[in-house]
Amino acid sequence: MTAVACDDVSVAYGEVLALRNVSVAFERGRIHAVVGQNGAGKTTFARVCAGIVRPTTGRLAIDGREIRVGDVGAARLSGVELVHQSFALPPSFTVAEAMEFGSTRRTGPVYSRRALERRWRDHLASLDVAARPGDRIRDLPVETQQGVEIARALCSDARVLILDEPTAVLAPPAIERLFARIRRLRAAGVTVLVILHKIHEVLAVAETITVLRAGELVATLLPAAAMNAGDLAHAIVGSANVGATIDVPAPHAARDDKLPALELLGAATRATPDGPPLADVDLTVGHGEIVGIAGVEGNGQRTLVNAIAGLCALSAGRLNCGGRDLTRTSLLERRGHGLRIIPFERNVEGLSLSSALWQNWSARLLVAGRQLRLVDPQRLRGLCRSALERWSVRFASVDQPAGALSGGNAQKTIFAREIDDDAMLIVAAQPTRGLDIAATAFVWAALRAARERGCGVLVISSDLDELFDISDRVVVMLSGRIVGEFCAPYDLGAIGAAMTGASSAALTLATP
Amino acid sequence: MNAVLRGQLLSIGRALAFVALALALCGGIFTLAGYSATSMFVNIAAGAVLAPHAFVHTLRWTMPLFLMALGVLLTFRFGYFNIGAQGQFYLGGIAAAFIADAWRAGPPLLAIPLTLLAGIAGGALWAFVPGLLRIRSGTDEVITTLMGNFIAALALVYVTSGPLKDPSGSGQVAAGRPVAAALRIATSSGVSFTLIAIVAVVGVLVWLLVDRTAFGILGSLAGRNPVMVRWQGAPSERIAMTAFLVSGGLAGLAGALELLGPSGRLVSGSAPTLGFGAVLIALVCGLSVPGAAIVAVFFGGLAAASLYLPVIAGLPAAAIDIINAAITLFITARAWPRMPRRAQRRRTLESAPQRERVAS
Repeated sequence: MTAVACDDVSVAYGEVLALRNVSVAFERGRIHAVVGQNGAGKTTFARVCAGIVRPTTGRLAIDGREIRVGDVGAARLSGVELVHQSFALPPSFTVAEAMEFGSTRRTGPVYSRRALERRWRDHLASLDVAARPGDRIRDLPVETQQGVEIARALCSDARVLILDEPTAVLAPPAIERLFARIRRLRAAGVTVLVILHKIHEVLAVAETITVLRAGELVATLLPAAAMNAGDLAHAIVGSANVGATIDVPAPHAARDDKLPALELLGAATRATPDGPPLADVDLTVGHGEIVGIAGVEGNGQRTLVNAIAGLCALSAGRLNCGGRDLTRTSLLERRGHGLRIIPFERNVEGLSLSSALWQNWSARLLVAGRQLRLVDPQRLRGLCRSALERWSVRFASVDQPAGALSGGNAQKTIFAREIDDDAMLIVAAQPTRGLDIAATAFVWAALRAARERGCGVLVISSDLDELFDISDRVVVMLSGRIVGEFCAPYDLGAIGAAMTGASSAALTLATP
Repeated sequence: MNAVLRGQLLSIGRALAFVALALALCGGIFTLAGYSATSMFVNIAAGAVLAPHAFVHTLRWTMPLFLMALGVLLTFRFGYFNIGAQGQFYLGGIAAAFIADAWRAGPPLLAIPLTLLAGIAGGALWAFVPGLLRIRSGTDEVITTLMGNFIAALALVYVTSGPLKDPSGSGQVAAGRPVAAALRIATSSGVSFTLIAIVAVVGVLVWLLVDRTAFGILGSLAGRNPVMVRWQGAPSERIAMTAFLVSGGLAGLAGALELLGPSGRLVSGSAPTLGFGAVLIALVCGLSVPGAAIVAVFFGGLAAASLYLPVIAGLPAAAIDIINAAITLFITARAWPRMPRRAQRRRTLESAPQRERVAS
């Protein structure tokens, strides 16, 4: 008996085919993993199954009954619920309100908060979610928020639960608990589709494995018990993408001072809404070196980037760039000394989506120098056009809004702005998040090219595979502190232990 | 360039279409109210351009409207909603009046620029307070600038019936002492070469500031996404504050020109709708400086007609209010997609920098 069946599903976003002729039928009552690299089409696939994305072609059947594609209501009525990768619960709501808000059950027009909380207390308890109905969503730790998301998805008798990258935000012990929860749900008769991209996680939880690569199915419903990590890795990555060379612009003559590009000495900050305060952070990035910051998200990485950018003041310690003490300087001055930032939030901190491309690109030039000097927009448009062409950004016109670019092209636009001849220290925060394979490779090549030219590069990523791939050194952050430093060959167990604060190797995932 | 030009033409066409729709709606309302729509529009046109001296009146109202609209559109572009042009206009007039009164015997070549500067300073001061509150503590500038209008109107009543009271006044309207004739830069027609020249020069300067300086382009970026501009290291707070000051200064200048030009004295409650006219112009012209000049002539014409209708044609001046209201209706309907973006900007601004500032 199939729980979810897709028949010849294709999804096109503009000219890009996100999914191509995908046909797969998931058996009821089991744990199915859908795996693939970033941009393989996993999330799109999940959204098609949940009725959020309407495929260009193809059909969808739930429990053997065909339903209208692209109709969330119909999918939910048939018992399909999706838990998004980035949580969609309103932060200001209480848990009970969020549950009620997501419930398909009709509430009367008038109700009291107490009635809501009473209604949902048992439900939360039955799913072992460690949240009180009266808690605000924003006050909950990430793991509990995810628990609430799952509870929300299950509040209306869901028979198929789709989890999109549920492990991305979790520390290894929490991942283990999540997997235990998934197994309990399966025991209760729920079919679970879990989108993953880490091989050891797939092998730890899934019963069947379906592999997507560049929008196409390359393997369907492989029995997980018979798979080993090597074969699965090969299926996910494919062989065509290995060894391709990419031509990226690089700074011509980065300053090759003897002193390191970045030195943080005993740096500390106060706590911020983004995470714990930095405490006693010593960090050095040399010229011609890529240093990776590993760590579970929310352990002070954002504060670190803010502190390096000068957007969060150091309460103790010093920050030197190329031997100059920049502790008390503004971001503008730091930029003048060669600091460049690829920020975490591409679409908020990196680009102004509703502004023209040329304005976005020109911003770095515009902030330097006197504000009231006359500038020639035509000249800026020309400079922008040639820069974007050099960085092989696909764009129609420099007057188009930046929001019209795809994620990869948006990130390239930011690179085109930030990586110039005066760049000395490049801080790249989650530079490949949400990018497809080609754009990811491009970003890596650009960071490597900057390193070859003598820039110091600091990469913050929650993807260990990425860090292992491009870093010369990996530094682990936990609760705002640097808790470990590792060189290649990297010991996954030791790094995982450092990330979670465990003393011994803790990445072995228990089986039921 | 072609795309830019096409975009501009498109926005002009759209604005014209909205105005045309609004006028059609008004025609319907006039007919329903028992007036002939044709004669109403003919008389409005007469009051605005066709009648003798009508265009002089139109120009007389165009100039303050244009200056104030420039200030409004500057803050709109930068993501702030200064709707206090009226109050800034009054404060500019008050500040100018004190200087003009104190220097009534001074050399005009010195006294006139000083008076205008005082007007600019007065208007800028009236925008400084909401600007500071907005930037330092996130207080909604819509509320503070709006309230500033009422306070300024009362301040004007106080000044014209207190410190600068004209002892020979009729007592019907509180008015200040007349400005010395030597300091006047226009007769009561309100149009003179000096006045037009000042407005034109300021218009060009504002156009350069908004469209041709790093300040203007960064400010427009900040208006769309202040977080991104912050990550570029731009002095966002200084840019925002400057926008508020320039905006208020322009309205204050309009107030000072009103004093030295057509009015010749402070009059309590004078020209009470200029500020909202300026907001309308800024919205209709799609926040473009050259566009504002053209649209200001249109609204200047309506302002002239609102005096012509009851006096010459014996028709109700409310017709002009109806037209203004109808245009507002259509323009705000167009502007509504702007509003969520503004709300979003608020949220990002408040969630990131402000909380951080509190924390640090």
